[in-house]
Amino acid sequence: MIWLTWRQHRAQAVAGAAALAAVGAVLVVTGLHALTMLRNSGIHGCLGIQSGDCNELVNTTQRSFTGLVILAVLLMIGPCLMGLFWGGPLVAREIEHGTHRVAWTQGVTRRRWIGAQLAFVVGLAVLAGAALDAMASWWIHPVNATGLRFSQGAFDVQGIVPIGYSLFAVALGTAAGAVMRKTLPAMGVTLAGFVALRAGILQFARPHYVAPLTRTYSAIIGSEQPSPLTGDWVLKSGYVDRAGHFSSGLSINLNGCKGSNLQCAQSYLAAHGIRGYDLYQPAGRFWLFQGIETAIFVGVAVALLAVTVVWVRRRLS
Amino acid sequence: MTAPAPLETTGLGRRYGRRWALRDCSLRLPQGRIAALVGPNGAGKTTLLHLAVGLLQPTTGAVRVFGRSPREDVEILSRLGFVAQDVPLYDRFTVQEMLVLGRKLNQRWDDDLARSRLRELSIPLDQRTGTLSGGQRAQVALAMALAKRPELLLLDEPLASLDPLARREFLQALMEGVAEDGVTVLLSSHLVSDLERICDYLIVLQASRVQVLGDTEHLLATHRTLIGPRRDPAAVAGVAGVVRESHTERQSTALVRTTGRVLDPAWTVHEVTLEELVLAYLSEPTASTLPGPAVRDDCMEGVQA
Repeated sequence: MIWLTWRQHRAQAVAGAAALAAVGAVLVVTGLHALTMLRNSGIHGCLGIQSGDCNELVNTTQRSFTGLVILAVLLMIGPCLMGLFWGGPLVAREIEHGTHRVAWTQGVTRRRWIGAQLAFVVGLAVLAGAALDAMASWWIHPVNATGLRFSQGAFDVQGIVPIGYSLFAVALGTAAGAVMRKTLPAMGVTLAGFVALRAGILQFARPHYVAPLTRTYSAIIGSEQPSPLTGDWVLKSGYVDRAGHFSSGLSINLNGCKGSNLQCAQSYLAAHGIRGYDLYQPAGRFWLFQGIETAIFVGVAVALLAVTVVWVRRRLS
Repeated sequence: MTAPAPLETTGLGRRYGRRWALRDCSLRLPQGRIAALVGPNGAGKTTLLHLAVGLLQPTTGAVRVFGRSPREDVEILSRLGFVAQDVPLYDRFTVQEMLVLGRKLNQRWDDDLARSRLRELSIPLDQRTGTLSGGQRAQVALAMALAKRPELLLLDEPLASLDPLARREFLQALMEGVAEDGVTVLLSSHLVSDLERICDYLIVLQASRVQVLGDTEHLLATHRTLIGPRRDPAAVAGVAGVVRESHTERQSTALVRTTGRVLDPAWTVHEVTLEELVLAYLSEPTASTLPGPAVRDDCMEGVQA
């Protein structure tokens, strides 16, 4: 069975390895460029310092990495492609070509057949996911240094979650192929299902794995404010007044004000007790969140693999 | 206690949604026979064969191969050879690699046999199966099925896409392959003329039901064509039933099932060919010849004697 599985899927494995190598080359070039940018940015001097100037510098540096964030989006597609091209055809193509009638009438049970096929494709996905992960983790290091490690996009390409996504994608592709018996519709369902679960989790579940913390700080420009370099994931940022009302922005009426605008604004803030407000997940929860998110996707993947095994053994008949 | 039959079905039925592909099929294929499974397209031949190799699960009834259910049973799967309809092969594999597949996936595998068969047919082992001709593909599939050294060999329309020469070569290879070991063969086709020379057992399926079942010699011995004056042939002495009759103004022609010799001098009696017999039954879906338990036992004893 191992020989058959390898012989059937070696072309896909080789194509996957070639794609990974190409991605690796792009990551090395852009990653080195990012390192240079980080060194020249001068934000190293800002570590541990909370000042408005430093924060401004960090924000500028973060913005300069916007191009890399687009590349990170491409990296997030990687696991989905595994699901489409490794998972989707695994069972569906056998049925489309009628070759399941050959494979399942040799001296091997279907359970062993599907076991070997799944073991191979799952192994492939974990390997490729880990490789993508390792490359991306090195590549994104300069971005992490600007405090963006926990942010959406950066979180998704490093740590251990890419392995969970890859596993989920191939499990979804395989299950869709087994249930639908046609490669192309199975690929469509895989794409839709992958995007739906990823986006759904990212938008609605991840911010709430653990109850977020809040903090307030002086809203006066130039005063001590939390540094972006701490790497916290800020979910919501704005202002609260003394009564605890939140607003995302401020409009201060400066009419009839004595003195400079700045003084005027400061006295307004002081009079109303307005302070800066953050709802955030602290940087220290990064690995906890990685673990929770990976567990969710691995759990769904295991359920889908079980569906595939049952479907191949019972329903495809 | 006799050994379990290579293939036995009882009340076997399979439904797809609302449509019955096979219904109430009870048959027993005696050991060592070469049986033709004949019927029009859509009669349920493929369904029956897929049930027999465990690719399908019955909706009703049971199928037993050597006394056991073929599903997920390695021992039974190992004793079965199967050539599926349209001869599916992994198109990107070379012939050689298909043989490796057979060797890796079967405990019992005669690699030398497969290789020598293919060499005799000058089928290049290093060629991809996707580039072979229909006849060559069928031969590769047959060589793979025979290399399992099966005790029951099932072939689903293996001749359908072959030209007459390839048909003859295929049947020749098949007969050589099963000659020595007493392999039981079940071969489906929508044409009986191809199988007439090689098979000694007949199963006619029509509209998802078994219509005719029995030893071909027995069937041929008990069916006659009668030609005579315009009259009801059912009333003739020795006629058990009329399968098909046609009348012109002055003359009646009938294919009948007989119980003994038809001696009525008014009728000219002709022997029938298997093809005539099958066509007569297929054109009259209500007629059927199924052995009762007694007849079937007679048949069995005849085979074993």
